[in-house]
Amino acid sequence: MYRVKVGNNTVVEFDDSAANLLQALERHQLQVNFQCREGYCGACRCKLNSGEIRYLHEPLAFVRQGEFLPCCSIPLTNIDIEIP
Amino acid sequence: MAYTTFNRQINDQMKEPMFFGNPVNVSRYDQQKYGIFEKLIEKQLSFFWRPEEVDVSKDRIDYQNLPPHEKHIFISNLKYQTLLDSVQGRSPNVAFLPIVSLPELETWIETWAFSETIHSRSYTHIVRNISSEPHKVFDDIMLNEKILQRADDVTRYYDDLIDGINLYQRCGEGTHTINGQNHSISLYELKRRLYLCVMSVNVLEAIRFYVSFACSFAFAERELMEGNAKIIRLIARDEALHLTGTQHMLNIMAAGEDDADMANIAKECEEEAYAIFRKAAEQEKDWAEYLFKDGSMIGLNKDILCQYVEYITNSRMQAIGLKPIFSTTQNPIPWINTWLVSDNVQVAPQEAEISSYLVGQIDNEVDGADFGDFDL
Repeated sequence: MYRVKVGNNTVVEFDDSAANLLQALERHQLQVNFQCREGYCGACRCKLNSGEIRYLHEPLAFVRQGEFLPCCSIPLTNIDIEIP
Repeated sequence: MAYTTFNRQINDQMKEPMFFGNPVNVSRYDQQKYGIFEKLIEKQLSFFWRPEEVDVSKDRIDYQNLPPHEKHIFISNLKYQTLLDSVQGRSPNVAFLPIVSLPELETWIETWAFSETIHSRSYTHIVRNISSEPHKVFDDIMLNEKILQRADDVTRYYDDLIDGINLYQRCGEGTHTINGQNHSISLYELKRRLYLCVMSVNVLEAIRFYVSFACSFAFAERELMEGNAKIIRLIARDEALHLTGTQHMLNIMAAGEDDADMANIAKECEEEAYAIFRKAAEQEKDWAEYLFKDGSMIGLNKDILCQYVEYITNSRMQAIGLKPIFSTTQNPIPWINTWLVSDNVQVAPQEAEISSYLVGQIDNEVDGADFGDFDL
């Protein structure tokens, strides 16, 4: 289980019950923009301030450095993220 | 310099820039300079659909029962989308194919434009179904002032690029006298026109379609015009992919490793890029006003739609490294996302299609762990 720090005062725990980070964030009622949910549209782009994630499959959308797509990734460590 | 359909120059395609290098000779996909375009082609092919697969017969009754102001909203959006896809079905081919230098990018452009022709055909499918006089709907597109106002900004950057390419490929760089008139062109100027054109296409696919999408889904939320909404979902799925394609092109250009001139141009054109986004957002807000001039629809009005335009404009700008220009940070119609999820798209009733569905697809990836629970 990993801790996902969202912004300044929210912490979401990620365990095996969530298929990906987007799902975990949504279960905590956090509003993340989304569209395709499989990595090709890039609508769910978030900032990754620290920690590491792993893509379940390589996304087609363009992802800038310091950003990641929660719809097709899971954390590898505790992470600190920002939802735009 | 002059275009040739099969360039005899033996070249290393892996060393060509995206545009303005050697014209492509062999269409080969065993190697790719930018693997992303190959992946986009495969994804787009897996998305293939035909309008006739979607049953729109119930929409006819729904449409007849709509009040006049909602009929206006529905049909006007359809006309505007018809304009946009008329342009997108041909222009990437005409503008980009004569200057492209990578086989995977060339084929991506063709695949992309082809899918836009499917969208155009789907509008005819919808209009034929809801109207006994479809020709009147299409005839009005060329007469409707509100639509024509948009056409100018949608096509201008394409036309400037195409005009420049024609001159350059016929006469080369410099000032040329044609029919008594002087015309100047340089490669750098052409690259500038290319950058602005891709930027304007990005805006078209990222923002201009979405006002119509929102209206279509607002009808469907009330269980009206659901056949149409199904088609729009398929179109939205394609557009999201096209948008990713243009975002990759813009980001590769701005990085400058592909063509150093392009990095300079991206910087020089930054202000113009902001202006293109701002103008498109303003035009879409005007369009929202025109749509709702005789009354709003349940779940959607001019103000909400304008906020949505601002919201997606900001998000699309950030995707290509620009700063947001509006203060809106929240999606005012979050329910739209559920309609935009591709895996919920169902075409034929017997086939709940997942987006990665390919005919005869076999999963060849076998991991050692797959045999974990085998006992001999």
